[in-house]
Amino acid sequence: MTEKTMSLISADERRELERTAVRVRRAILRMLKAGRSGHIGGALSCADILTALYFKVMRLDPQRPDWPERDRFVLSAGHKCLALYAALSERGFLDECVLDTYGTHCTNLGGHPDMHKVPGIETNTGALGHGLSIAGGMAMGLKMDGVDAKVYVVMGDGELAEGSNWEAAAAASHHRLDNLLVFVDRNRLQIGGPTVDVMSFEPLDRRWESFGWEVRVIDGHDMGQIVACAANAPFAPGKPSVVIADTVKAKGLSFAENKVEFHYWKATEEGLAIAERELKEAEERIG
Amino acid sequence: MTPMLKDPRKTFGEALVAAGEKNPRIVALSADSSSGSGLTPFQKRFPGRHLEFGIMEQGIMGFAAGLATTGKIPFVVAIAPFVTARPFEMFRNDLGYMRQNVKVVGRCAGLTYSDLGATHQSLDDVAIIRTIPGVTILNPGDPVDIVKAVHAAAEHVGPVYIRIGSPPMPVLMDEAYPFRIGKGVVVQEGDDVTLIGTGTVFSKAAGAAKLLKDQGIHARLINLHTIKPLDTELILKAARETGRIVTVEEGYTAGGMGGCIAEFLSAEHPVRIRRIGIDDRFAEPGPYEDVLALYGLQSEQIADTVVSFLKS
Repeated sequence: MTEKTMSLISADERRELERTAVRVRRAILRMLKAGRSGHIGGALSCADILTALYFKVMRLDPQRPDWPERDRFVLSAGHKCLALYAALSERGFLDECVLDTYGTHCTNLGGHPDMHKVPGIETNTGALGHGLSIAGGMAMGLKMDGVDAKVYVVMGDGELAEGSNWEAAAAASHHRLDNLLVFVDRNRLQIGGPTVDVMSFEPLDRRWESFGWEVRVIDGHDMGQIVACAANAPFAPGKPSVVIADTVKAKGLSFAENKVEFHYWKATEEGLAIAERELKEAEERIG
Repeated sequence: MTPMLKDPRKTFGEALVAAGEKNPRIVALSADSSSGSGLTPFQKRFPGRHLEFGIMEQGIMGFAAGLATTGKIPFVVAIAPFVTARPFEMFRNDLGYMRQNVKVVGRCAGLTYSDLGATHQSLDDVAIIRTIPGVTILNPGDPVDIVKAVHAAAEHVGPVYIRIGSPPMPVLMDEAYPFRIGKGVVVQEGDDVTLIGTGTVFSKAAGAAKLLKDQGIHARLINLHTIKPLDTELILKAARETGRIVTVEEGYTAGGMGGCIAEFLSAEHPVRIRRIGIDDRFAEPGPYEDVLALYGLQSEQIADTVVSFLKS
């Protein structure tokens, strides 16, 4: 079940993506600095997946955010929107100055994404268990029109307790939506504690498989594996694909990694300074 | 002359085929029982444009929203409570907040399923859906209205909820009349009182207006086929000119059409209002016409209520 596919990217491309991911994380911290608090744990656990999608995988044009043939991205776990704002900014969909408005009165960058306020955002998510159905409808509409675009979704693992996800999973399989690729950001923590203790949906791979999906399990921080999965999707013709991406909550901040209290962080000056230093060190390690 | 009766679901289904002929972007989504939703003709005419979801009454809303983002005009059709109360958050977020061009058709609304009890009746649909910003609510008063509502909804950009019943409806409106979303219709002039009917029981209000006429009471009869946006101009004029308002609906008066009108007039031009519908209760089961009578919704009862209201 584990994705063993050789990386489809060169060492240089991998380094470039990793450097971009550091910039995405830096943008996340910039917003936290402005707004003082946010859902940092999940934003950092999915930041590498979003970086790979926005900088290597998806067919996009920042100048034409409503281009009908673009690939679609749906952040079902809308509270991870710091990662989405950061990726969109880095990719040129919005000016980086806008990041400094996060958390301010009437900002366009709210605590959950608003498609009517930020170019490049496809859906208004936040209430959990909505994104997969909407993404399924997009995939269905694109297929009906013969457009070869794909729909990518990032879901949280805690989010999977919402029954509506499983309605959507069944429908996507029934309607053979093989232009749909889901990443489950399995960081194994939700606000109330370890996901397996709060409400276990393990074994995730077999659950998805039983709903008619083709499953891969990867290291969700490995650019090579993320890109390879996207390149190989659909994993089986006529079936929707799901990648269970094992990730680390708050990845990149040593003091916060794998700690449930960093699901939502009220940032401190000291914490931000340490985070900035650690990102710089990460950048230097990449070279 | 007794008006002709038509099946509202069949009428809806035929109208959707006609709208589908005009606009290839229209697709129909059903949550099982597509034939009960009147979709068989659409399914036959446009097999590739009918999408089945089974009894998946939450997910279907998100799929409709996603389809709409690609330019489709989805009509989601199912039993009224299961496209309103059941997936309320999906209706609110995916259709309302996302401003998606989806049309939700709640069929067998109100007390239609009188025998099946409260789980299958939708008395609260208007009250809950009208809280969603930007959603239009159409409650056609006869078969002519149903056809016009389907075409108007297809042309309108934005989420629309259309409420239809199931028992045969008398044809009361002139096919040539201009149906405009947000504009009620004065069907009969009168200055003694205003009688505002909507949807499945507009015909009962119309019957009451006739009975009142026989007693020398001239009621202004309004067919309020759009509950949201409310035709404030027409209602204000009626309040000013007749001084008393009686509303008739097959649903909860709290938050329903009567509630909308009371809210509006209490702020703009307070007049006495009598709201006829279902009060704060789950309805009793029984044959449809008997259950309507239990809540004072037969024409004779409405007329009596108006008479006593005018005396009070």
